[in-house]
Amino acid sequence: MNGQSGGNTQRAKFQALCLALRPDLLRFAFWLSRDRALAEDVVQESLLRAWKAQDSLQDANAAKPWLLTIVRREYARTFERKRLPTVDIDDLVAREEPVLAGGDKQEIAEVRRAMFKLPEEYREPLVLQVLMGLSTTEIAAQLGLSQPAVLTRLFRARNQLRSMLGEEVQPDSDP
Amino acid sequence: MIHCTEYRRRITAEPALARSPGEHAASCAECAAFTQRLLAFEGRLAAALQLELPAPSASASNVVPLRPRSRGGLAKPWFAMAASVALAAVVAAVLWVGTAESSLAADVVKHMAHEPDAWARTDSRVPEANLAAVLREAHVRLLPNMNRVSYAQSCMFRLHHVPHLVVQSDSGPVTVMVLAHENIAKAQHFDEQGYRGMIVPMPGHGSVAVITRGTSAPDTGRVVASLVSSIQWTP
Repeated sequence: MNGQSGGNTQRAKFQALCLALRPDLLRFAFWLSRDRALAEDVVQESLLRAWKAQDSLQDANAAKPWLLTIVRREYARTFERKRLPTVDIDDLVAREEPVLAGGDKQEIAEVRRAMFKLPEEYREPLVLQVLMGLSTTEIAAQLGLSQPAVLTRLFRARNQLRSMLGEEVQPDSDP
Repeated sequence: MIHCTEYRRRITAEPALARSPGEHAASCAECAAFTQRLLAFEGRLAAALQLELPAPSASASNVVPLRPRSRGGLAKPWFAMAASVALAAVVAAVLWVGTAESSLAADVVKHMAHEPDAWARTDSRVPEANLAAVLREAHVRLLPNMNRVSYAQSCMFRLHHVPHLVVQSDSGPVTVMVLAHENIAKAQHFDEQGYRGMIVPMPGHGSVAVITRGTSAPDTGRVVASLVSSIQWTP
């Protein structure tokens, strides 16, 4: 009886965790893949994997990086399972235009379109920092990079984005 | 002492540093202007990344555990086992995220207006005995890893007494209402009258509302994740 109650509580906690984090995970997967359908697939698969592996999550405060790792691996697996066709960036933008449109805010839509054009090596750390709220140390751990490398990528990511949007930027220089 | 190039490189990589820009920006008008432009861009970037991705339909959610899609390798024996009714129910609930407007969310927001003083940012803590008394009525206790609770009252909400807590997180105060009598089928997000938050179902235990306010409010998702690890229901 107690065991069943404990299991229900555990399930409820895991469910609440996923409910809380799923919207951001979906956004992260979308910015990674630039494909809403693929992002939904990746997050669904990731949550199933997380469910099966929930015992390995010792600290719920670590749930976000834990789930992010699962999402990143699941996204990588989609390339192992299936060679995704190369798609022109303008086609990607056109396909996801309903998602990218910023309502009545044209400037938001422009930033989103510029994000689509940013190379993945710059786009991913930027999304991890701005959307997911990770520190540069946490980003370095996620991406398997040194902290200076992360800082360089973040610097270049913003420079490229701002340049695409017609803003004056700081000239590139390695740290 | 750092020069302009170094300062700009640093804050471009980590704009959060610009909140305390230090001596250089204070003495360099050009870098101060650069900082303002960067922070304006950062605001647009943060808004741009917050896409409104529509929630999948409930029917789509229900088939998730069994769906082979077009990928190879998913129809494994363990995957078939994972399609048990319990797992399907959990995943369906997880994916079935609701929208903002519900009368429950509206009532939660309305309740916030009754106790504006509770939102103060403070270092003071509610005495443990008082907190325990408020929580006991709702058959709840908090594990010690919970952040500082600065406000705890038993409030009348929809004809029931419910614990109304304010937790001082690192990024500001967060209100938590333990709604043991409010069973909801799916999570509800809301953003009304300056209050943002989420009501999360806790199957068998009603639901929990987490509310923040202000433009620099804490990340609700993180707060919920931390909170659910700290709540225990008692008999």
